[in-house]
Amino acid sequence: MSASTAPGAPASGPIVELSAVTKDYPLGKLTVQALRGVDLRIERGEFIAIAGPSGSGKTTLLNLVGCVDVPTAGAVRIEGQSTSELSEKQLTTLRLHKLGFIFQSFNLVGVLDVFQNVELPLLLQGGLTSADRKRRVAEMVDKVGLTPQTRQRPNELSGGQRQRVAIARALVTRPAIVMADEPTANLDSGTGGAIIELMKDINRTDHTTFIFSTHDANVMGHARRLVELVDGRIAADHPVSEAA
Amino acid sequence: MAGSPVAQARVLAQMALRSLASHKVKSLIVGSIMVFGTALVVVGTSLLDSVEAGMERSIVKSLSGHLQLYDAEAKDDLALFGGTGMGGDDYGEVPDFGEVQRVVQALDGVEAVVPMGLGLANMSRGSELDRALDALRRAVEDGDAAARVALIHRVQRLLELMHADLANSRAITADTTELDANLAHVERAQQDAFWAPFAGDDLAAKRAALDFLDTKVAPAGGDGVQYYLRYLGTDLPLFARVFDRFRIVEGQPVPEGRRGLLMNKRFADSQLKLKVARLLDELHDAATLNDARIADDPALAAKARQARSLYGSLTLMLSPEDAAALTETLRAAFPDVQPTEGQSDLDALMQAALTVDDDTLKARYAFFYEQIAPRVELYPFRVGDVLTLRAFTKRGYMKSVNVKVYGTFEFAGLERSELSGAANLVDLMTFRDLYGQMTEAQQAELKAIQAEVGLERVDRADAEAAFFGGADDSVEKVADGSVFGDFEVARIEREAGTRVADDRPFTREQMLDGVVLNAAVILADGVAVDEAKARVQAAVDAAGLKLKVVDWRAASGVIGQFVLVIRGVLLLAIGIIFIVALVIINNSMLMATLERVREIGTLRAIGAQRRFVMAMVMLETLVLGLLSGGVGAGLGAALVGWMGDVGIPAKNDILVFLFSGPRLHPTVGAGNLLVALVVILVVSLISTWYPARIATRVQPVEAMREA
Repeated sequence: MSASTAPGAPASGPIVELSAVTKDYPLGKLTVQALRGVDLRIERGEFIAIAGPSGSGKTTLLNLVGCVDVPTAGAVRIEGQSTSELSEKQLTTLRLHKLGFIFQSFNLVGVLDVFQNVELPLLLQGGLTSADRKRRVAEMVDKVGLTPQTRQRPNELSGGQRQRVAIARALVTRPAIVMADEPTANLDSGTGGAIIELMKDINRTDHTTFIFSTHDANVMGHARRLVELVDGRIAADHPVSEAA
Repeated sequence: MAGSPVAQARVLAQMALRSLASHKVKSLIVGSIMVFGTALVVVGTSLLDSVEAGMERSIVKSLSGHLQLYDAEAKDDLALFGGTGMGGDDYGEVPDFGEVQRVVQALDGVEAVVPMGLGLANMSRGSELDRALDALRRAVEDGDAAARVALIHRVQRLLELMHADLANSRAITADTTELDANLAHVERAQQDAFWAPFAGDDLAAKRAALDFLDTKVAPAGGDGVQYYLRYLGTDLPLFARVFDRFRIVEGQPVPEGRRGLLMNKRFADSQLKLKVARLLDELHDAATLNDARIADDPALAAKARQARSLYGSLTLMLSPEDAAALTETLRAAFPDVQPTEGQSDLDALMQAALTVDDDTLKARYAFFYEQIAPRVELYPFRVGDVLTLRAFTKRGYMKSVNVKVYGTFEFAGLERSELSGAANLVDLMTFRDLYGQMTEAQQAELKAIQAEVGLERVDRADAEAAFFGGADDSVEKVADGSVFGDFEVARIEREAGTRVADDRPFTREQMLDGVVLNAAVILADGVAVDEAKARVQAAVDAAGLKLKVVDWRAASGVIGQFVLVIRGVLLLAIGIIFIVALVIINNSMLMATLERVREIGTLRAIGAQRRFVMAMVMLETLVLGLLSGGVGAGLGAALVGWMGDVGIPAKNDILVFLFSGPRLHPTVGAGNLLVALVVILVVSLISTWYPARIATRVQPVEAMREA
């Protein structure tokens, strides 16, 4: 298994490590094996795409890495900490401080405006003064190019703008890892491309690790490393050339 | 790291408000229920509080005072407006009122201590014939020829009716021996020869004829009417001064130091008044106060029929002159009325005058009081009359007292309330006579007699043992040896031909130093009843008086509990409404929560703890509760304000009493609003608790599911 390390990232072991991870789901009397003994190491600052057909286990893999689920067997370690050993409350705290999420359907809070959606994780975290928090949110909104839309609500924005809000919300806490589940699936190709470019740009400048699932070949082409899943197993794991 | 509470609360509040705005239908349904619930609580509790205040005024200012004192060892609880014992309640006794007054009056905040004693007396009124004969005898003795002729005419008419009654009875009776004898007596009295002596000068012959009528004829005509009269013996001048709702309607107050009776106007109107007048009053009240219609109400229709059937009782009461004058007046008013066969002109006209329906009621009611009422006896007594009250003394013997009626009274604002007619007022000395209390001299005299004849005193309670189980068979026959015993009253009545009032004056000391059953304590304005109650109890305990102190509510018996019952019913109704509200709110919130699973999952995924989700859902209902509660409280307060301006009419006598007048003008207090808001918020939070718990169980992985 090879890994491409982002330039300038701290060299202190993998940020995510999956060892012999199995995940079973009960389906009536049957048990569906969504992941079957997956081993995966992701280094800090990677920009990695998880690909594969529907039902191959992409989302399950993201859920486990995103700490919204725990494996049936094997271990998922985030910065060396096994998620199976954490309580639900600790997992929530871990997500709040280490992870950022970008969803396929954006999942913004409809009753809050752009600024408030972005501010929400900081409010949950606490610890910042009101002024610091506002400055951080404003910077983030600016970074995703939505300063003119700061006081608009999600239903007043286009799909691309919404996903930019979601990216801002995922990044505002400066997480170590950003999980993105098919971030461009609900966007046209142009907008999708722009979103990927934005993510890539942030990865480059902030060294934030991005893990995203996709089945769009164009999007895969933007990744620097591609992990392909088939039937719950890793079928291929290889770097992608920048030129692709 | 903990979240920043203030900023979190701010964003939660904002989320709650915006969520409410974006789920309009749900907010509207739940909000409407909350508005309705809050308004209901405000209106309900305001009305109740106003009723309670009204009732407090009614009770405190009419009979009870703020506190009542009575024997700590009483078998029954004091019930000033009547208990369950029909006057037979045992309230023990307070042997020396003077001592009680000295102790309690000295306390701060006590304005007055009023002695009291409740009792039930019987008052009889002879039959029509008895009274006509009484009057005839007086006319004969006084030599009043004109009155004599009129009264003979009246007696003869009564004999006619009596003969018809007896003949009817005879037709349906198997053993006619007694009826035959009575009929023979009546027939003899109907002969012209029987009345011949009245035309002459032979007084002895007239007396003999009257004696025959008194002893042989009148007894066959029945016993007349018995009335039961609840009385309250008290310090009448003090009572009039401290119970400021008391006012004399007719006559005058009983003078200080004199014995006398003040008849309760309401009692007289509802119990003693001439039946036909009472029926007309009831019909008139129903029509004017309650807008009831005879045509629609079978009970009123029955009363109207009964009033019409009672014409004979009125025509019988009329003197020949009045009968003639009234016939003329009635004929002018009812020119077309023809008597049926065997009916006199007057009877037919009177029947027409008493025939009422919804259209004629008002005019005929007025006609009755203008033309007919002044010519008949509306009440079995007149102010200035002497009435004989009979009551069982404490020891179980019948005691009679003749007492003068000085006037009638009512409690202002409660004129129409039956319950305010609960008691007539007598002086304390008359009460003690009926109660069977002896003066020291009387007791000494009795002791001497007992010693002389070797008798033993037996109380009613012990009588059975004494008579049947005891070894000593020599028991006292006359237990209470008061001067004015039954026999003496009877003798005086016989000799004088009429009743004489017991009019021995008494001093203030005599009145105060003696037995009473209870005492009312009037507190100064602004003195808290509960606090005063504790102080009075402590003072009487310290003085060694074995007395129980109760507040006006407890003293008024069942009536005092009435508001508690209404409160209970209201609370039950509110409870049921809120349970329904709870289910509806719970359902709506549950639906709303299920609609928001993905949003909640997202919040959980990005790091919101369960308690944040819980707070989010609860706060939403809390905000809705506050807004709706505010609107509901405002609406409720406006409604109560409107009712306060317009007034709620008291549709019946119990309501008049509860409202402390003919209309209730409710007011709303800050307490009512606060209670309503707290109730609605508590209900909101309880009803949202389950949906909120469901929300906290939403897993973050729900965020990943496709919309």
